[in-house]
Amino acid sequence: MSLKSAAQWLGGAALLLLCELIGRALVDLLSLPIPGSVVGMVLLLVGLLIYGEVPSGLARVSELLLRFLVLIFLPASVGIYFLRDLSPRDWIVLMTAMVIGTLISLTLTALLLNRLIQRSNGRQQREQGNG
Amino acid sequence: MADWLTQLRTLLESIATPLSLSHPLVILPLNVLAFWLGLRLYRRTGTPLLHPIVGASLLVLAALLILDIDYANYQRGSGALYLLLGPAVVALAIPLKQNLTMIRRVGWPLMLGLLVGAVLAPLVAVVIALALGGGRTVLLALTTKSVTTPVALALAQEMQSVQSLTAGVVAITGIIGAVFGPGLLKKLQITDERVVGFALGVNAHAIGTVRALEISALCGAFSALAMGLCGALTALLLPLLLAT
Repeated sequence: MSLKSAAQWLGGAALLLLCELIGRALVDLLSLPIPGSVVGMVLLLVGLLIYGEVPSGLARVSELLLRFLVLIFLPASVGIYFLRDLSPRDWIVLMTAMVIGTLISLTLTALLLNRLIQRSNGRQQREQGNG
Repeated sequence: MADWLTQLRTLLESIATPLSLSHPLVILPLNVLAFWLGLRLYRRTGTPLLHPIVGASLLVLAALLILDIDYANYQRGSGALYLLLGPAVVALAIPLKQNLTMIRRVGWPLMLGLLVGAVLAPLVAVVIALALGGGRTVLLALTTKSVTTPVALALAQEMQSVQSLTAGVVAITGIIGAVFGPGLLKKLQITDERVVGFALGVNAHAIGTVRALEISALCGAFSALAMGLCGALTALLLPLLLAT
């Protein structure tokens, strides 16, 4: 790795950390109920939209982070095997809500989007027909 | 910011402790090894049922039981990974920025659908759980079921819900959506790949997006966009909603 790409890499990592810390500080300051890291993400998104492109170091660091996402939240996921305060009844409710709820909301979302696309296609065709 | 500094200090303290089975130098390689094996298992089988999070977490569980390490010590040893969760959430801004250019082509009617879908996904599950008499812990964990895990974990910390349960609910939701979603939509004669991608992204986040990418690049791009927007939207609206 050349010195230049190492510097870009470090710059990208520093930018991510900086956004997170600013987000956290803002949330503390304004006592918002939103997670600080999410505020940091919105800040970075707005910054990138204004800047117009993604700096290459930032792109590389974030790609790496997102590729190892499963590893990063592995400790939190393992905790599900150590939950003691849920009753068997809670587990049944949870599983039913997850399985049936996900299938229902998936269907409803798709049906709604299908309807919206067809309507906007229809309108475009009408407008073209009139014009 | 204070909690971030506390996390950092705990990490440094755990590194300074004498070498034992729950030292970060043991726990971190254990995590990496489980992740790598879980990933290989998933690549070999190719089924969303064996998503790396399933294989890796089971491998860690087995190691903890064999080595007799309790979960609290394992968590302390994994401090470095917890510190990366925040930057990982911030990093989601990059794919979101790259996919946002698609919005102009999608048009605003679809964005309306996305908004409704993002509300529907947790709402349907919470209503079912309420009807079955689910407790507060269960209801809270379900509110972030369709949000990508790093954002869901940040929200869980904010809302003081159980982080592990939240992570589990997100993973299971994603697996259900990815395994059954495409087949279900085909039965309903919904074949527009943009619609399938959007529905998978809103309801099954990253796991659904991987599945969508298998259908086509277009399907995957719409799924990634829907996942990012749905996550950001939920993170900004849900805490305000629960605060009132």
